[in-house]
Amino acid sequence: MTTMKNLHILIALMVLWLLPQVGKAQQYTGTSGLIHVPSAEMYHEGDALIGAHFLNKHMMPDVGFIYLGKKYNTFDYYVSLAPYSWLELSYVCTERAREMDAQGNITKWSKDRYASVKIRPLKEGKYYPAVAIGCNDIWTAAYYKFDPNIQLYYMNWYIAATKHFNFSGNELGVTLSYRHFLRSYNGKWNGIVGGITFRPSFFPQARLIAEYTGNEFLLGMDMLLWQHLRLQASVKDFKYVNAGLCLQFNLLGKKYKY
Amino acid sequence: MEFFAYFCSRFLHINTTAMFQRYQSSQHRLLWVVLLILFFGVSQPKAVSQTVSPGIDFFSGVDFNFRDINYKTQYEFLIRLNPGFKWDMGNHWQLSGQVLIPIVNQYGTEYSFFQINALNVSKEFKIRNLYLKATAGAFNLNTYGLDMKAFLPLCDWFAFEGQAGYVGFVFVSPRWEIVAPNRFVGTIGGDFYLPQWNTQFRGVFGRYLYRDLGFELEAMRHFNHTTASIYGRWSNNEGFDAGFRFIIALPPYHRKHRAVNVRPISNFRTSYSVMYNIYSNRMYKTDPEENERDGWFSRDFLQWGSHTMEPDFIIKDLRKQ
Repeated sequence: MTTMKNLHILIALMVLWLLPQVGKAQQYTGTSGLIHVPSAEMYHEGDALIGAHFLNKHMMPDVGFIYLGKKYNTFDYYVSLAPYSWLELSYVCTERAREMDAQGNITKWSKDRYASVKIRPLKEGKYYPAVAIGCNDIWTAAYYKFDPNIQLYYMNWYIAATKHFNFSGNELGVTLSYRHFLRSYNGKWNGIVGGITFRPSFFPQARLIAEYTGNEFLLGMDMLLWQHLRLQASVKDFKYVNAGLCLQFNLLGKKYKY
Repeated sequence: MEFFAYFCSRFLHINTTAMFQRYQSSQHRLLWVVLLILFFGVSQPKAVSQTVSPGIDFFSGVDFNFRDINYKTQYEFLIRLNPGFKWDMGNHWQLSGQVLIPIVNQYGTEYSFFQINALNVSKEFKIRNLYLKATAGAFNLNTYGLDMKAFLPLCDWFAFEGQAGYVGFVFVSPRWEIVAPNRFVGTIGGDFYLPQWNTQFRGVFGRYLYRDLGFELEAMRHFNHTTASIYGRWSNNEGFDAGFRFIIALPPYHRKHRAVNVRPISNFRTSYSVMYNIYSNRMYKTDPEENERDGWFSRDFLQWGSHTMEPDFIIKDLRKQ
């Protein structure tokens, strides 16, 4: 039943795909990327985003988001900014259960906070890929890296390379990244990760994504509607849906097709 | 001069005697002249300003605050109306006032009554290349007293800044209470502005309102109508803190200027602090619409930094016409 419900949500989001415009987001962290895998793509200079993302319990870290021995679905919200074409900053709050009622419904929440930074030192060229480095939860890591009692659920650093290929107006993007989570309980997502994206010529505003996170395969898509509403939906094992939306504005007043 | 020599030797470890001896030689004199020309000679600002005839503006907006310091609640909000006025009396004299009226208050009883956020008179003036602003009256953070701000642009991309004040406290809520001026505060620092990227770096240190010593570094990116910044600061009261800040100039961006004007407040400003150190690195604001994007001085008086960008507001002066 739950699977059918999730499938209906996914179908509804795919219908929205028929409406105009694009995406390029590792959206649950507020920064650009694939779904769970970071890439070297960047937002446009001046892009500011504020949004929220539903996170399926199957995509959560194995520590910290467990209440009475059970993992639970949750969501996060964020604000992010690309002050320059080579830099992205974001600030994310992920909700954690604090109290549950007898039926297992979460009645009170607290939150885990982290800041992310992403820098692209090398812009994509004709014969070479773009290269970006980044880090999540940089503030906490800087302070508490060597204190094992401090939990760093999302702390990781990465280096990513992305190259796009065009054929007949279609765009194929290939991303290869190396990622390392600081805490061992997220070690399943460590190492070489990557994915491919496809942007069709007949509807370049949308992007299809397939990725390997180091532990699982994800399929998804994202798009930008009416230049201000960004959507992303993904599915793990064709059962577990993650989805989010955000408002996006370009503070330089520029309008981009994608 | 003795104080300058003492300051240099005590805090900057610079031997001023040797420095002045070196100055006596012609080569070093030439070096100083070249440096002065480099700094002062190219410091004429761009003329991106618009002057309007004197008048009085009534305005209001929303002062939006939230905090996340209580484990039992997600957020606590403090939302207040901030109506005020500015009377431009000509020649850069200004009388201004503002109150804060709570609409939503989850911060506590001390915020449950209205507060005076500004009631003061100010004057901007200039001595050579030094821009000054003197203010007397009530400021925000329940303070009142005398304040002097100074800004010395050395070139298009670098300027010194300083602020000094002698203040006391005045509380309206929960009861009237006035504390006589009893503290000197002041900061001094510098501003770098990179016009190609509309980016500004600001660093100041000094003695802050709650008698703490500290410093603050801020990096600002100015966009059309919006400034986003990140900052880090330290104080001997509560240690390190960091956060980010947004300042958004509020529409309408095309305005008509009359003798009496009623308009929205010029900007919405919200600031986030990671550590919520509210008794550190705090300094009052004298102007009801003061913010980091516009700085201390009015746009038609000082054209430096973000004031060299396209103005947020295009003002059509009906009185001049």
